Amino acid sequence: MTPAEGAANPAQQKREALETQLELIAHMSQDFASSLDIDATLRNALERITRYVGAEGGAIFLLSDSGEEIVCHACHGPFDLTGLRLGSNEGIVGRSVRNNACQMVRDALNDPGFESRIDAATGFKTRSVLCAPLTVQDRCLGAIELVNKTARDSLFETPDLHLLRAMASSAALALANARFAANLAEQERQRGELELAAEIQRGLLPEQRPAPFPVAGVNLPARLVSGDFFDFLVLDGGRIGFAVGDVSGKGVQAALLMAKTASLYRCLAKSDASPGRLLGIINQEICDTATRGMFVTMIAGVYDPASGCIRLANAGHEPPLLHGEGGSFQRFPAREPPVGISPTVVGEGQFPEEEIALNKGTLYIFTDGITEARTADGAQCGVEGLKKLIAGAAHLQLSERLNAIAAHVNQHPLRDDVTVLAVDGSSASAPRTAPTMREGSEERRLLMLSFRAQADQLKSVRTAVQDAVTRAGCGATCTKDIVLAVDEACQNIIRHAYRGTPGGTIVLEIERQDDVLVFWLRDFAPKVDVSKVKPRDLGDVRPGGIGVHLIREAMDECGFVPCPSEGNIFRMAKRIH
Amino acid sequence: MKHTVRLEQDTAVVVLEGDVDLEHSPAARKVLLECLQQGRHVLVDMSGVSYIDSSGVASLVEAFQNARRKGTRFALAAVSSSALRVLELARLDKVFTIYRTVADGTAGNG
Repeated sequence: MTPAEGAANPAQQKREALETQLELIAHMSQDFASSLDIDATLRNALERITRYVGAEGGAIFLLSDSGEEIVCHACHGPFDLTGLRLGSNEGIVGRSVRNNACQMVRDALNDPGFESRIDAATGFKTRSVLCAPLTVQDRCLGAIELVNKTARDSLFETPDLHLLRAMASSAALALANARFAANLAEQERQRGELELAAEIQRGLLPEQRPAPFPVAGVNLPARLVSGDFFDFLVLDGGRIGFAVGDVSGKGVQAALLMAKTASLYRCLAKSDASPGRLLGIINQEICDTATRGMFVTMIAGVYDPASGCIRLANAGHEPPLLHGEGGSFQRFPAREPPVGISPTVVGEGQFPEEEIALNKGTLYIFTDGITEARTADGAQCGVEGLKKLIAGAAHLQLSERLNAIAAHVNQHPLRDDVTVLAVDGSSASAPRTAPTMREGSEERRLLMLSFRAQADQLKSVRTAVQDAVTRAGCGATCTKDIVLAVDEACQNIIRHAYRGTPGGTIVLEIERQDDVLVFWLRDFAPKVDVSKVKPRDLGDVRPGGIGVHLIREAMDECGFVPCPSEGNIFRMAKRIH
Repeated sequence: MKHTVRLEQDTAVVVLEGDVDLEHSPAARKVLLECLQQGRHVLVDMSGVSYIDSSGVASLVEAFQNARRKGTRFALAAVSSSALRVLELARLDKVFTIYRTVADGTAGNG
């Protein structure tokens, strides 16, 4: 029974109307929840509402994405306007959307907003119009319009308006939910595609070979896809070619460039065993096509098990560490920039090579993801931390050793992809002791400064640091390097810890411990957690982490230390004299 | 930081002065890319750069890569010792074409 038909007992009529109305809303919500076709569901809802209110016809218009148009998504009755587009302020329905308010027009022909061209096209005679906006939390999604009441004089009454308004709010909520669900489904689909990409990418990494094969690698992506890669392959004469690369930036772009670089390496390494020439050719290729300031730090090498020697070329990559048989560590810094920046950077297109004799030691090539990662106690691993992990795992067989090292840094969410490749010069290694850290005996505070985390504060911070370290007896170059490193560390806090939101505070403290200057930078931002980074950050391409590189170059030590309460503490140290 | 641009034939000489830091490097990036957009060769006079950080360096790298794709010249000239130190630390001193003086640069670019 509809209210239009009336009933003898007003109280009973009211109760029955309410029950029917609730039933209608329940049906509509169920439709929206169970169907993926939003327009079909809108048509069903409209049909129910039109019948229930007792109108000759009805239409649902939704605002377009731009908000400039309203488009008819559903129609019921003697005309079909589906697909009709109106300006968002055209017609009585447009007025309802624009003002986010109900409209009841009892003499449509004389209403200034009435669009007579629609009747002209459909042959329908509009006399009376009822309109209610589809609104969720003050946001208007569109409007529902009913025309000509079927009963009596075809004029709508105020109770009809109340009824339509109630129906419209339920329909709007159901529509918003359905759209939200559709968005979630799309995100799921994209995640599925990324997972597929990750699987293909894992396929680019080589299979581990059983012991005593002397080369092994491990890769832990910080997100689904990785910007790092490693590879190794057996060449003629039993020699083994290997490579490690780290693409600047993160996300899908980095993963695509990684795939390209890894494929180039694999393809070229089979025909040309010179690591320097190989990097030269890859450099040319990447320079020709890489975009948006992306580049790759990369090491290529060839190991000859017969001689125990490695020939290696390094394009701007983290210095590899040689862990000697006696427990000592030796670093081999890059002298050339990364590949992908300039095709003419190296003479005759060839990167210089160096020869490293393993002398039964193991060479570790790694990406900065591991030195930036946090170990179990929450402290940043750093090069010194990595040395300890290497020494602590030295008694293990090669691939177990790499797994053990990786497991140590995989207990907190990774900030960056982690890759380690090792070339083992001996099949039997003895456990070794870790080098001990020297403790300072004399401590003196040189500076304590608290300032807002904003770019316009950095100049005065630089001046204060310059004064403090000059007074401590630093030379001109040393002072400049320190100022640069502190500035870069502050920038990282502003951009990555506080994510550019103003109002944060940074506290800088400089201490002197004998002939070492120690810098503490404290912030009060949330601890950076990669797993909570929003999807749109996938496209984040930083200028290749030049800042982090500058800090490492300028300082002797740097890294995060555990912070007892909120915020993060970054520590840097520099030996003077 | 302040910047000025003057034209010497088809080369835009961009003079950067002061601190090219996080606060000011967006302005440096904008002027460099605009000059390249207009199809000019670009020579950056860095004699007055008292300080440059990674954001400033990134602006130079982006302009350099942009110029290389367009086939136009991009070079630095009269780089101050402070700025040169940072370019060395970033291993970029070998990447950029660096002229001793602005006059050398415009002659080389002419």
